[in-house]
Amino acid sequence: MAAGGTGGRTYSFKVVLLGEGCVGKTSLVLRYCENKFNDKHITTLQASFLTKKLNITGKRVNLAIWDTAGQERFHALGPIYYRDSNGAVLVYDITDEDSFQKVKNWVKELRKMLGNEICLCIVGNKIDLDKDRHVSVEEAESYAESVGAKHYHTSAKLNKGIEELFLDLCKRMMETAQAEERLKGNGASQSASSRRGVQIVDDEPQATPAGGCCSSG
Amino acid sequence: IVAVEVERMLRLAEQCLERAKSFIGKSADPPDLSASVSASSSWRKATSPTKTGHRRVMSEGGGELSPFLPPEIFQRIQTVESQDTSKKELTPIEEASRLNQKLKANYEARLARLTPGQAYQKTSLTLSLQRQMMENLIIAKARQDALQRKMEERRLRLQEEANRRFAASGAMTAEEQEQRILYTNVLEYEQDHDWPKLWKANMRKNLDDMTLVSGLVSYLKPTRTVGSSVGGQSFSADSSPSLSHDLHANYDDEDGDEPHTQVTVDRENSFEDLEQFLTQLDWAPPHGSADDTGSDLDTTCDPLMQPEQEEGNIQELEIRALTEHLKAVVKDIHIAIGEHEDRGHLWVCLYISDQLLSLCLLSFECLNTANSKDLCLASIEEAFFTPLWSALVALFRKVHREREQAFETSMKLYGDISPGDVGVSLKLFPQDPGALQGSYPYESAVQELRLLIIDRCPQRKLECIVRTLRLICACAEDYRCLHEVDSTPKTAAIGADDLLPILSFVALRSQCPQLVSECAALEEFIHEGYLIGEEGYCLTSMQSALAYVESLHTGGAHLPADKLT
Repeated sequence: MAAGGTGGRTYSFKVVLLGEGCVGKTSLVLRYCENKFNDKHITTLQASFLTKKLNITGKRVNLAIWDTAGQERFHALGPIYYRDSNGAVLVYDITDEDSFQKVKNWVKELRKMLGNEICLCIVGNKIDLDKDRHVSVEEAESYAESVGAKHYHTSAKLNKGIEELFLDLCKRMMETAQAEERLKGNGASQSASSRRGVQIVDDEPQATPAGGCCSSG
Repeated sequence: IVAVEVERMLRLAEQCLERAKSFIGKSADPPDLSASVSASSSWRKATSPTKTGHRRVMSEGGGELSPFLPPEIFQRIQTVESQDTSKKELTPIEEASRLNQKLKANYEARLARLTPGQAYQKTSLTLSLQRQMMENLIIAKARQDALQRKMEERRLRLQEEANRRFAASGAMTAEEQEQRILYTNVLEYEQDHDWPKLWKANMRKNLDDMTLVSGLVSYLKPTRTVGSSVGGQSFSADSSPSLSHDLHANYDDEDGDEPHTQVTVDRENSFEDLEQFLTQLDWAPPHGSADDTGSDLDTTCDPLMQPEQEEGNIQELEIRALTEHLKAVVKDIHIAIGEHEDRGHLWVCLYISDQLLSLCLLSFECLNTANSKDLCLASIEEAFFTPLWSALVALFRKVHREREQAFETSMKLYGDISPGDVGVSLKLFPQDPGALQGSYPYESAVQELRLLIIDRCPQRKLECIVRTLRLICACAEDYRCLHEVDSTPKTAAIGADDLLPILSFVALRSQCPQLVSECAALEEFIHEGYLIGEEGYCLTSMQSALAYVESLHTGGAHLPADKLT
């Protein structure tokens, strides 16, 4: 449990996906999860809940992507969706000013509920329709910066920018998790004390006593 | 003749001297003696052994402390002994007590045979009895000390073993510390008992046999007294297997007769604490107002009618009090264990939390694989929650009564609504009723969801919700294919935007307000490891859909108006 370094660990991150109905968040996340190698990542819940396994700089990462409903009438229970999230992907349609306003509302709520623990990504989707753009690049990027979020441009249709977006998000979430670990002392205990947020799980059975020192015989 | 007299006098003097010595010895010794006596009395709940019954015998010695344990206590010890599965041996002190008891009996027999004229012989007998008993106790105490030292050494050795196992690097968290102590206790227990070894060996032989895991857990569950030595915490108390049998029987009945009727709260269970608690809750009188509001809503759809305002306030206070109670119970359930000693069954159930799991994992390393862990958790949950759940849900239903009523009102108003009316995309259900041959869209999911209230184990309920959502996705896929027969099939899968309206429709059709409370309880008691995954997502979606259904009746405005936003 204590020994063995970080090599044997797997990070488990929860990411919520927010955005209005027709901004294309479903296509975006489907692109990301089914694009490579196989389509086994699609669970029986289709695009509403997706998982993806990654290997980033030698560390294993399990992503759980929670899609949320864009419709206003389901927002009453928004907070229970994004509690304990490590990251949030907020999608707007670059041709739809209104959808960008909605993103701003979510940012406010997320910061209020989760503070700075959560890594925010603001994503302008549909850059293949750049000629109809209604949200300027400068405006979006400066807004993102002002709220401590990162801004990305994607096109689900052309499969552009999506891989980068999630890779970047994972790296940021790992940094946050590691910082938190350091804060707790080298503890990094896998069990309940760490609450639901960052879960660091040993994914190897621990039957073998962690190497090195005197074996218990 | 003189010689005889002299001899007599000398013997008398000797006896006096001895008596004086023993007096001095006694007054010098008391701390030791009382320590040894209390040592023996602290074993099990034997109380102070000096009782009047023995004063009579000791009157001439004038001793403060009797070297005997009173017979009633002795008896108790013996019965405890015979019940004790571990066949614990007597401690040296207890052994000495037993011996002294015999000595005393002999002494009394001899005393009875003496004629009144033999007073000095009586004294002599008394004195020698005292001496012997004292010696017995002193010897016993020495042996006890030696034994204690040995135990201490063993403990240290085991502790080292535990330290090695946890390969402490640098600072330890309090939790790790606790685990280490727990592990030491487990090791100690295993030294004295055989069954853990047998299980371990068996499991090592059949590594892949998952039935062994559940076997082990159910073996641990009943009246096993591991606890008394493990960390002083016992999960031994009777979690009454017969009770869970009863409940299972109930469950079977319901299943056979009418699987879809609401399960009424069953009061047969013995969780007195909770029972008592529930009766306490009954002081919150429904005084009709709740029902009134309900029927008013039925006809007027206006929850804020003036005359009811005041009553509403009172109700609100009550609800608040109830909510506080509920919070306290839930909190207790999560943390309690620590001080459960004599608190009754409820606290035993609370062991369910991580503590019992980690205890299992510590004691049986081979259980520490993902699969076994899940199984372990499921078995533990089933064992402990099954008898508890109906009482818990009754409590949750009290607290969430208003929400359930709101759900019911919506249900009555919109029970036979079409999926399109709650915002389900037209592609995702067949508009032609004939296509479904007499049933309605998503019926299979509705049927599945109705089964939720029958299960009594949180884990299984959660699985039921997951199955419901999967069925929804499968149905949606089928319905879409119906629409896309001619056109080129698009591959877009359904996301939350589609899922939630369908789920709301399914919840509405389930006609089961109790779902509101069930889900609230699930949220509290599901192991947090599950909340990040698919199960957690499904539960969250279900709660979201339920909240939407509850809000439906507060005005048509919420209905499909913002369908497109």
